[in-house]
Amino acid sequence: MRFPSARAEITSRPRRGGALLASVLVLCVLALSAQAPARGHRGSVLQSWILTVSAPVVRAVASVSRAVSGASSSAAEAWTSRDENSRLRARLAKSDEELLRLRAEVRQLRDERSLTAAAPFLPVVVGSAPVLLIERRAGLQSALVGIGTSAGVGAGSPLAVPEGLVGRVITSGRTMSRAQLLLDASAAVGARIARTGELGIVRGDGRGALLLNHIPTTSRVRAGDLIESAGIDGIFPRGIPIGRVGAVSPGSNLFLDIRVVPTAPFARLTDVLVLAAFPARDPAEGSSAGR
Amino acid sequence: MNLGRIALILAGAAGLEFLFGSSPYRAAWPVDWLLLATAIVARSGGFGRSVLTGAAAGFLEDALTESLLGLNAFAKAVIGYLLAFFSVRVMFGGALAVGGALALCSLANDAIVAILRSLLLDSPIVLGTPYALWRAIATGATAGALEAAWSFPWREWRERRRLRRLR
Repeated sequence: MRFPSARAEITSRPRRGGALLASVLVLCVLALSAQAPARGHRGSVLQSWILTVSAPVVRAVASVSRAVSGASSSAAEAWTSRDENSRLRARLAKSDEELLRLRAEVRQLRDERSLTAAAPFLPVVVGSAPVLLIERRAGLQSALVGIGTSAGVGAGSPLAVPEGLVGRVITSGRTMSRAQLLLDASAAVGARIARTGELGIVRGDGRGALLLNHIPTTSRVRAGDLIESAGIDGIFPRGIPIGRVGAVSPGSNLFLDIRVVPTAPFARLTDVLVLAAFPARDPAEGSSAGR
Repeated sequence: MNLGRIALILAGAAGLEFLFGSSPYRAAWPVDWLLLATAIVARSGGFGRSVLTGAAAGFLEDALTESLLGLNAFAKAVIGYLLAFFSVRVMFGGALAVGGALALCSLANDAIVAILRSLLLDSPIVLGTPYALWRAIATGATAGALEAAWSFPWREWRERRRLRRLR
């Protein structure tokens, strides 16, 4: 009973041995070939194979790694450059702002200096104020100025620039006032022709020009004559230039039609001088007034 | 258009009025920004909101510049109603049409204010001054430009530009 099985065991062993041998031989060949120098002295064949086989993987991994490191380094660079850029931008913006502020201050100082230089020639000056808004609509010519009752400005305070009279405050708030310009169709000021001393009334025409009324046809007024405030209206002090005679023509009845070109640059008003109300009154007296 | 947006538009218009109004070059391009604000609200077609916006814008203008409160409020409320009416009932569109309408509205605003001032304050009626005409042109041109920018197909234009780049 034991023989057949032992025979079978004996016959199966060579088959296994053959397979084992083949395997060992293959391994040997592989080991030998691995140790054999590669063609062209480029190292061993095994190394070459390993390198060849692993190359794509290594390359892929390396490229991923390089990509990641590159991305991270570029991100870091971008971050630092962005940070630096933003810092530089902030510095530039700050410098620009400072430059702008300094320029504005210089300009404001220059304007204020020119205004204050003219102040001794004008009546009592309460202060200077920026013009915030000018409205011209349907004959109305008004301005918002940045000064109010807190600076002692009340309704009726005349406004002027070194070149001439501008208008008067109509309504005053604490820090802002509304003024009627001389060009307003409802504005009027007692005027005097400086050369001849004749008195009349200057009115705005609502279109940007002034008209001098009540000058008789016998007057010797001529183009170019200076017109100044006469101080007879109880609002504007005497002697402030209003404009120069532009054209004289015979009007209806006994009076001349005289067009006056204002001396104040109404089109480009930026700052005005606020004069003390004439005759002098308490500013708190009238914080608002009618037209 | 909701009230918050209307308030924002009005605040923006008031800001622009002051921004340009305080400049020495204010007469170079004197746009009536508050009228434009009224027109923008009227463009949505709501009568009540257009009228209220016009009134608010005009009241703001009156408070700042007029001696009588309500002149510009009246004028702008009427204009707001008319603009809403035209934007709803009439085929109304295109930069030229809008610009022309707003230029006319600017002149109409002046006319209404002048008549009211004459009636209530006995002021002389001053109309058609070069400044008023220039303001009408500036307001109309700005409104036309805004309408053109509003109705321009920006998305398609960007897409076309992108495709042109890809080619």
